[in-house]
Amino acid sequence: MSGLHIAGWALVTAGVAVVVAAAVAAAVAPGAYARLHPLTAMTSLGAPLTGAGVAVLDGGGPAGGLTLATVAVLALTGPVLGSAIGRVTAQREGRIRRDPPP
Amino acid sequence: MNGWLIATLALMAGGLVPSGWLALRGDPVRRLIGVCLAGPVVTLTLVLLAHAAAQPSYLIVPLALAPLSFAGTLVFTRLLGPRP
Repeated sequence: MSGLHIAGWALVTAGVAVVVAAAVAAAVAPGAYARLHPLTAMTSLGAPLTGAGVAVLDGGGPAGGLTLATVAVLALTGPVLGSAIGRVTAQREGRIRRDPPP
Repeated sequence: MNGWLIATLALMAGGLVPSGWLALRGDPVRRLIGVCLAGPVVTLTLVLLAHAAAQPSYLIVPLALAPLSFAGTLVFTRLLGPRP
């Protein structure tokens, strides 16, 4: 087992651990805003760690490239979703006004 | 059972169960957060499952799911907004 192999599995294990911890934290957190923080951690940290580990274990093959593209989409879209859900929560609670008409 | 399958099962048990619990109970925003959490969890589960099956062609499924899940959740945020 080479050092690269160990590093790849360490990254995958860390990524899976972050995703699981974020999901459990979101389930037990009180309120919508507190639940949005673990969502961003999951997509910005857990998914790239897992993807990097998979790419390292793949050794530069096409599967690693597809995996990196997938986690890049997750990392880019996660904060946008968190922001959108936070906005709709604030609108429903009356903290901000609804969107103006176009 | 290899390491890929163990990681897949860990993601399914530790990620999908809390997401499903959020998505199936409570007010609409709580359910939406559960759906939103389930998207990355399922995407990463499919990535690991494709490697567990040693079928790189299966990776096109999570690559398609990631943007579709994003767009679907954005539609729900629009529908859950306050009515004019």
